Amino acid sequence: MRLGVQEPTMNVPVSVIRLPHGPDGTSRGFDPTSPRFQALGPATLSSSVPGNAVQLEQEQQGRVVMRERYLRSLSAMAGHPVRFTMYEKVNVTALFEASDIDILNFHVSELQTPLGVQRDALLRCSDIISYTFEL
Amino acid sequence: MAMRQTPLTCSGHTRPVVDLAFSRITPYGYFVISACKDGKPMLRQGDTGDWIGTFLGHKGAVWGATLNKDATKAATAAADFSAKVWDAVSGDELITLAHKHIVKSVDFTEDNNYLLTAGQDKLLRIYDMNKPEAEPQVVSGHTSGIKKALWSSDEKQILSADDKTVRLWDRNTMTEVKAINVAMSVSSMEYVPEGEILVITYGRTIAFHSAETLEQIKSYDAPATINSASLHPEKECLVAGGEDFKLYKYDYNTGEELESYKGHFGPIHCVRFSPDGELYASGSEDGTLRLWQTTVGKTYGLWKCVIPEEEGAELAKARVGLPGTTDEELEDLGSENSDSIYSSTPEVKA
Repeated sequence: MRLGVQEPTMNVPVSVIRLPHGPDGTSRGFDPTSPRFQALGPATLSSSVPGNAVQLEQEQQGRVVMRERYLRSLSAMAGHPVRFTMYEKVNVTALFEASDIDILNFHVSELQTPLGVQRDALLRCSDIISYTFEL
Repeated sequence: MAMRQTPLTCSGHTRPVVDLAFSRITPYGYFVISACKDGKPMLRQGDTGDWIGTFLGHKGAVWGATLNKDATKAATAAADFSAKVWDAVSGDELITLAHKHIVKSVDFTEDNNYLLTAGQDKLLRIYDMNKPEAEPQVVSGHTSGIKKALWSSDEKQILSADDKTVRLWDRNTMTEVKAINVAMSVSSMEYVPEGEILVITYGRTIAFHSAETLEQIKSYDAPATINSASLHPEKECLVAGGEDFKLYKYDYNTGEELESYKGHFGPIHCVRFSPDGELYASGSEDGTLRLWQTTVGKTYGLWKCVIPEEEGAELAKARVGLPGTTDEELEDLGSENSDSIYSSTPEVKA
């Protein structure tokens, strides 16, 4: 809602009941308790196709291995200098400290920026294209 | 006392919003999907802007997004060289269609059986949704990257636009029927089935062509470069937005500028009217989607008409024409909103 400068003539902005709800930041949404989901919901999921159970199981196993490997890579990174390649041609180096549980943000320290060294910073993961570090 | 437009800002995207599409009206209301360079297209309730969910899976900027008419399926076109089809109720990715270059445009047929895709590889592809692994039908002919491709004329034809041409194809023979050259790079294209009208924008021009013959019906010029325009379902007015960050509303018959609004903090990339024409949505470089009322001051969605106590009903009616409203609409202020279209269950909280 934009409350601009009020003109001398009585230009009253239209009232709103509330602002639109934004993303809740913790999930991808599609609330399973919503009336629409209840009515049209999970029967359309492709994973409910039988006959692929073995293949699905194998795929899940593969995912488990990769996930565990990735999580271990994150803890191995702690305290190490990491080079981040980000959008808008940003390349920065910092010491990796921690990630949040959804891998949405990385806490880093001693972030080298063109403005100087930032003691602590939060990098938005969606802005990161890639990162490298040495074990 | 005049009413001033209060746009509703939908945040959540972290990069420019480059495309948006509405569904038709469904028993659960209507919906809007927004394509964003952050690679995460979002689904929102169309009349309130409330976030419903984010489609996660693309690995690059999403350039195009569409919904099928009852908003049960979504399709997206992305810079990761793929188009994806999603379950728009659960948010799950259903199909990934690999392409050889950036995909820019996706469009479902009415029966959901086919998906049309187009992009930088200059080819139109038609995928059978019942056999997605099968090779698509490919239509070639464009000499530069295709920006938009749409089904038209009961899906017997396809309309497509690249940098400098707009072409009409016959779906059965897969050959070009007609092509026109456009003076400047086409920035957007909208197909209006009722009346077979094609809305094309290029440079500062908003042009209306016949979707059957591609001949120009009329065109209007805006004060700045226009990136997108949309025609009201009742064809009374049109809205357009572009590089000067402003939204313009024009009378479709006369071309007279009716209203203009500042609000976005960056160029506007896409504008679309809702299926009931009560609001229009704009997507911008500033990463937001904004909802604007067609009739400013009307009670609808989250907007509420509040007539102050001091002014009696007579004074309200005596107001000299507000921009964009007629006397009949003034009397409508405060009347019931459009809840009757939807079920009476409370809105889902994000």
